[in-house]
Amino acid sequence: MKRALVINPKDNTATALNDIEAGEMVSLASSSGRIIGEVKAQQAVPFGHKLAVADIGRGDKVLKYGEVIGLATQAINKGDYIHVHNVESALLPPPKEVG
Amino acid sequence: MEFLGYERPDGSVGVRNHVAVISSGRCANEMATVIADAVPGATPIIHTHPCVRLKDDNDRALRVLAGLGSNPNVAAALVVGIGCENPSPGKIGEEIAKSKKRVEVLTIMESSGFQDLMDRGLAITRSMVAEASQLQRKPFPLSYLTIGVKCGGSSAVSGIAGNSVTGRVFDRLIAEGGTAIFSETTEVIGADHLLAKRAINEEVARRFREAVDRMEARIKATGEDIRGSQPTRGNIAEGLTTIEEKSLGALAKTGTSPLQGVLEYAEKPKGKGLFFMDGSAMTSELVSGEAAAGAQIHIYNVGGGISSSFRCPPGWLGEIPILPQIAVVSKPSKPRDHLESEFFDIYAGTIIEGTQSIEQVADRLFEEIIAVASGKLTKREMRSGYREPIVMYTTGPIL
Repeated sequence: MKRALVINPKDNTATALNDIEAGEMVSLASSSGRIIGEVKAQQAVPFGHKLAVADIGRGDKVLKYGEVIGLATQAINKGDYIHVHNVESALLPPPKEVG
Repeated sequence: MEFLGYERPDGSVGVRNHVAVISSGRCANEMATVIADAVPGATPIIHTHPCVRLKDDNDRALRVLAGLGSNPNVAAALVVGIGCENPSPGKIGEEIAKSKKRVEVLTIMESSGFQDLMDRGLAITRSMVAEASQLQRKPFPLSYLTIGVKCGGSSAVSGIAGNSVTGRVFDRLIAEGGTAIFSETTEVIGADHLLAKRAINEEVARRFREAVDRMEARIKATGEDIRGSQPTRGNIAEGLTTIEEKSLGALAKTGTSPLQGVLEYAEKPKGKGLFFMDGSAMTSELVSGEAAAGAQIHIYNVGGGISSSFRCPPGWLGEIPILPQIAVVSKPSKPRDHLESEFFDIYAGTIIEGTQSIEQVADRLFEEIIAVASGKLTKREMRSGYREPIVMYTTGPIL
């Protein structure tokens, strides 16, 4: 099975460790190597890119490394490809307050 | 946990036992090189700092040269100079003397000529090597270690492999009472608000923000806005979505410890724990600054892309002859044995391949640090004797 890494337990994203095709099942590993679940990729996700491991509402925080890497610009479903088309920086521009 | 190191008179502990022959100005590079090359066990420290610099940069050069001489990996130091340069050879010697080790200063202006200086320099260096060669390694706790870090050739795998591994290793080192130094002011822009929150108090947070603001202002003065230019198109193609994600990937190497302090370039930390040092992302400048601050070991994380195919030709890592560098590569590579056996000390591509976890590779890196601290030579130390003049971070114009 294709694999993706959930770096921090708080994350709602996983980083693809393989090139993933749309519709493929993806095994989710934690930083200790434990398999913590699986998710069906809704779109293709290239190696090193991200997919959602939970539903993320529009304007909600997108988390990797346990920290906010940006805000969702549209509703994102579990398994969706996450990139510049549905996430923008919370810092730029204009700066927004993040917790 | 313990490593085997060389005890120094000021209570610090070296993982190497060099006798350094330090050139105080570029005019003295040849003398330092010829003397050191003539004495097995002696190491020249040469550089390109010219006299035509302003005070800030001269002060940095003094901190670098005195700091390298004071580094615990150095048993004794000979400073050779002309006598008219800035920083002055005498001042460098005075600063090294504060570490209570043996230090001698020779200048052309106080000699009867080049040959006289060379003869005296050789005699001094030989006697320093004779003394240093009698020292034995003894066990010391890991709290005596200071480790620096740099990441280069960043890619989507840097953050999730090498940098995450280093972050966990730093957390463990600091839990053992040790010290870790990271730098690259330009790289923290985008995650600076998060790092400021990890500061132990408001003063440290303020000094950190000041260092970032200073760097940004300097960049803006050239007409560019670094925040607006990040992530680059290349980063986006590799999967990095926002400046926060890119900077967090870089910051993963700092682990989760509180930020104890902010250092000027080449400034020694006061106390233990995690420290940030102001400086550029240029490898050769960064390793000079971290070694001058007292780091005995350096971790160099190579991500992916072109740089790992480059296999680190001599000089690429930024050479500081007194500082062993443990090179970590994150990019999956076949055959992996080739990469690891010839060029890199730790292959972290196993995380991407799924055969090892971040924690397992962190265990390997931690063991390697203890081995290198106890005398195991790094791949770089064994490759060749090639060296380059050291490079220092500067901010002012050359006059």
